Amino acid sequence: MIQKKVCVLGSFGVGKTSLVRRYVQSIFSDTYLTTVGVKVDKKTLSVGTQEVTLVLWDVAGEDDVNAIRMTYVRGAGGYFLVADGTRAETLEIAKSIQSRVAAEVGPVPFLLLLNKADLQESWDLSREPVEALESSGWTVLRTSAKSGENVEEAFQELAKRMVS
Amino acid sequence: MSSLSLSARPTSDLPDAQVDDARIRRLADLLLAVARTVDPEVAAEVPSSFEGDPRLEALRTVLLEQDRAAFARLRQKVDDPQEFAEAVSAVLASAFALAASRDERLATILAPTMERATQASVATNPKTMVGILYPLMGPAISKSLAETLDSTLQGLNQAFKHSFSWQGLKWRLEAYRSGSSFADVVLKHTIVFRVEHVFLIHRKTGLLLEHVAAPQAASQDPHMVSGMLSAIQDFVRDSFSNSEGGRGAGIDSLRLGDLTLWCEEGPSAFLAAVIRGNPPESLHGQLRETLGHLHEDLRGPLEQFEGDSSILGDLSTRLGTCLQQQEQPKERRLSRWLWILPLAVLIALVSWLVLRAIEENRVDTYVQLLRDEPGIVVTGAERYDGKWRVSGLRDPLATEPGDLLAKANLAPNRVVGNWEPYQALSPAIVLKRMEATLNPPPDVSLVIYGNTIRARGSAPQHWVEKARAFIAALPAGSPRIDLTELQDVQDPTFVALRHAIQAHIIPFDSGNPRPPQEQEAVLDKIAEEVAQLIKVARGLGFSVRVTIIGHADSTGKDTSNLSLSAARAEVVRSMLRARGVAPDLLSVRSAGALEPLKPDATEAESAINRSVTLTVSTAD
Repeated sequence: MIQKKVCVLGSFGVGKTSLVRRYVQSIFSDTYLTTVGVKVDKKTLSVGTQEVTLVLWDVAGEDDVNAIRMTYVRGAGGYFLVADGTRAETLEIAKSIQSRVAAEVGPVPFLLLLNKADLQESWDLSREPVEALESSGWTVLRTSAKSGENVEEAFQELAKRMVS
Repeated sequence: MSSLSLSARPTSDLPDAQVDDARIRRLADLLLAVARTVDPEVAAEVPSSFEGDPRLEALRTVLLEQDRAAFARLRQKVDDPQEFAEAVSAVLASAFALAASRDERLATILAPTMERATQASVATNPKTMVGILYPLMGPAISKSLAETLDSTLQGLNQAFKHSFSWQGLKWRLEAYRSGSSFADVVLKHTIVFRVEHVFLIHRKTGLLLEHVAAPQAASQDPHMVSGMLSAIQDFVRDSFSNSEGGRGAGIDSLRLGDLTLWCEEGPSAFLAAVIRGNPPESLHGQLRETLGHLHEDLRGPLEQFEGDSSILGDLSTRLGTCLQQQEQPKERRLSRWLWILPLAVLIALVSWLVLRAIEENRVDTYVQLLRDEPGIVVTGAERYDGKWRVSGLRDPLATEPGDLLAKANLAPNRVVGNWEPYQALSPAIVLKRMEATLNPPPDVSLVIYGNTIRARGSAPQHWVEKARAFIAALPAGSPRIDLTELQDVQDPTFVALRHAIQAHIIPFDSGNPRPPQEQEAVLDKIAEEVAQLIKVARGLGFSVRVTIIGHADSTGKDTSNLSLSAARAEVVRSMLRARGVAPDLLSVRSAGALEPLKPDATEAESAINRSVTLTVSTAD
């Protein structure tokens, strides 16, 4: 069995915890996020014939006061960058986080998840920066923690990239 | 610049073939000369055909000028220590790295030199080596000291805690018998623990490398637990470490209720053990040793681990050695008897003493009750042949001693009485004796006042007479019996009958023992009255006797008169008997001439003295 440490990163309030809550096995309370700054969950899925266990480190969101602890990112086999489509500034924060994480863990697979796809009409995120990121090699998925859109696909995609 | 030509001399005079041959030979000589120059072995074996030829030297100069310059520079570097050192220093690190990567020979070769260098350094200035080792050994020594101190304190705490208890005394005896220290014995009995989980966690990724659990140990998902443990370790290191410029140590120990978490950190992985109970400090050593062996054997795989734990092989057996436990030693069943038997004996002894004390108390009560009873004098009470023997004097009319046993809660078979009879003169006993002897009528009450017994009420004459006779027979020192308040009451019918019977005088003829014929009717009357008297007396509760007294006049001899009077009385009794009067109620007495009815009677009156009279008395 393969295990991979996967970090879920992003700005404060982008829906990281909601995104994983319905799709992972969890035993710890969300209060760990506000105390220790991270909560560990688990999701097991199959990539081909290979069973992969993703140990998800849901890292407390970054804001103007609190930066992400890079200690929690160390050793990650892959990560999700989560941004809120209704808040354009969260994409910039995601880009900032990506640069710091890449410096810490190197070129490991990652996905950019534009969350809250169920509120598409309220998005203030223009297409250009997203397309620019895609053209630079980023993989971008539009997800919704509320409807479940693309959530399973996101886990599956990242797992496939990590074990390939 | 000089030029070189293969034509050593002119060849115009020779044919072409010869010219070519000569040229080839010269070329061969030339090449041979070059080979001699390059290879000293060739120079030694093949003699030069160009010795002394100036052109050869010129050729050498042309061909080898650059090599000679390079060689000169190289020689200069080798011959000059400073330059040689500079040259070696430039490649030394790479050379060491290359040699170390190929095999272990470099380490083997360098080891003795390093040892000597270390010894020399320590001999010259030990502080240098101390300064080098302190950052490495300091934390380890501190940790070891702390564990040793904790272990000692653990032993002392337990020893103090149990020093003065009953169990502590037992353990002190065990320490004396086994030769161990008291603290060790206390620890052996009090440290009860079980390692329930052991996690081996990759430090860099926080991923679980292996997890083993004791049977029936409850646990959450080990992957998530290991991840969270790793996160908390990182959190503690980042938040509370006081080391500058580096990461400090993480959590060594956590305690939550009955559970303890111990962590041992290694370079690539750390061990986390979840322990229930009170673990000994020596368990730290076991965890550290296991972790050390894992790092020794799996250094490469641990450093290269990226999520595939199959490269580490089976670690569960190794971690399984950490699943230690120590249970509370069970009490041996034999020991139960060792204290139950003496306890039973002690209980039996105490019970016997208590029961005996209780029985003695009851016997004292019994003796006191006996002494309070009139007519009983206790002279001794002692144990004899497993029973109590009470001795003394007892009036037969006193209370039966056995009747008092129940009041003293004594079983009849526990006491043997040894009583000698005597007559008690206490008022109560005299009263009893009086009642038993005289059978007082219902109207008579006998009451004790001090040393006096007073009879009150009314009683018939005959009872009063009996009472007086009883009083007269009492020995000296007896209580006084007062009958003055007793009223003498007679039954009128009885009195009348007695009067009638005693009024009869049966005359006899002189010298004749039989009454005259006309007295037959009188005798009939007497017999009827006696029968009625007996009946009345029985109704009153007593019996009567009728005495027939024979009389004679004074004429004739006295002996003859006595016989005659006796004969007259006997005849009358016989005649009354013939009329139905019970003979046992009749008695006769001959008065002769000694009890004349009319002593001064004349000859004519003397007939009254020849008679039979009757007297009635109560038989009691």
